[in-house]
Amino acid sequence: MSPEPSFEEARAELERIVGELESGRADLEDAVRLWERGEELYRLCVAKLDAAEGKIEELGRRAEAVRPDA
Amino acid sequence: MSYSRAVKVEATLHGDRKVYSVSAFNRGIGSWLARLPTIWVEGEVTELRRQDGWQSVFLTLKDLEDGSCLPVSMPRTTFDALRLDVADGDRIHVYGRPELYEARGVFQLRALSLEPLGLGAALARIERLKKALAEEGLFAAERKRALPLLPRRIGLLTGNEAAAKRDFLIAVAARFPAVRVLVAETLVQGVRAPGAIAAALEELCREPEIDVVVLARGGGSFEDLLPFSDERVVRAVAACPVPVVSAVGHEQDTPLCDLAADARASTPTAAARLVVPDERQLRADLDRLRAALGRDTRRILERGRQSLATDAQRLTRAPALLLERKRARVDALAGRLRALSPRATLERGYAIVRTESGIVRSAGAAAPGTRIDVELAEGALAARVEETRE
Repeated sequence: MSPEPSFEEARAELERIVGELESGRADLEDAVRLWERGEELYRLCVAKLDAAEGKIEELGRRAEAVRPDA
Repeated sequence: MSYSRAVKVEATLHGDRKVYSVSAFNRGIGSWLARLPTIWVEGEVTELRRQDGWQSVFLTLKDLEDGSCLPVSMPRTTFDALRLDVADGDRIHVYGRPELYEARGVFQLRALSLEPLGLGAALARIERLKKALAEEGLFAAERKRALPLLPRRIGLLTGNEAAAKRDFLIAVAARFPAVRVLVAETLVQGVRAPGAIAAALEELCREPEIDVVVLARGGGSFEDLLPFSDERVVRAVAACPVPVVSAVGHEQDTPLCDLAADARASTPTAAARLVVPDERQLRADLDRLRAALGRDTRRILERGRQSLATDAQRLTRAPALLLERKRARVDALAGRLRALSPRATLERGYAIVRTESGIVRSAGAAAPGTRIDVELAEGALAARVEETRE
């Protein structure tokens, strides 16, 4: 198993796949395989966007930030 | 030499008079002086003396208004390392501590560092550094790295001024609220700022998942921004393991760290636009790619279907074609057969003569009076032979 690609890698691969399909060089079997991979990458990218969680931290002050309120 | 510890100074008694030796006196005064803090003193350089063989460089610092004088000494190696073009008449800041040169009983300022005042000197120093670092390749275009599209975590290095940090965070929130920012505050001004900035940058980069660092400092005077042209800061930026965006000062300022950074922004807000993607744009791009993915795949499938249909059509037509070809061949044979039949000869005006015993090929076969049958192209004649000629 290859490690899960980063957002950039996934998006770049998606773009490459679309380019490949656009060129029309892919045969039928390849096209279906590429489409499946493309859909997978699309879902991965969107999931990464959805999973992102805004957080502002201060270096050297995290110890205080995570300490439960007394 | 350690003046920092209190020195016990022994006096001798002459009657009821306490008397100190010169050496003891100087040592005592020296130890008192050594307890004073390290400070900055401003003045004009006079009587600058430097020689290669000497341990120290000497100069007299003259008050700019009333001409009061202060002897200054500085370790020659420290002085040389600063690579300053200091000359008599220059205004300088000297950072040092008061000291007594005990062997001669001379009070002086022992300098740890000195900085020429005025734009000219600072500019000259920056220019020299810029040239040296450029020759080293620190500012080369091929060193510049691309900024990440979607940083997992952004390091923001800034002074404790509220504005730069606030501007950056507001711009980030507007474009992509779900981004993570780790803020590191550091000294950005003064003689200790360069070391502090370089150290903070290294510390920030050691944090997990930091994909890009933004160096943000609001506008300030030329002097205020000097730490960002300090060699330590410039080298730290160049050595940073992740891309660095420099947003220091205003548009017209170009501190050296800008040249070493991977990208430069004129304001903290502009820096935010560089490091954080626009979420709506990002999602729209993804949807566009997905639509193209579906469209192109359908096109290829459709093309496949069409070529399949053509194949099927050819397949169903094939037997009929075969029959037709066979029929044509049969027709050709029939034609040739027809050409061989006597009927065609009769058409041309010939006739077939038969008697009861068969086709007549010579006159002798039918004696006068014999009944003959003459077959023509159309119809036949019943006749009798009148005469035979042989």
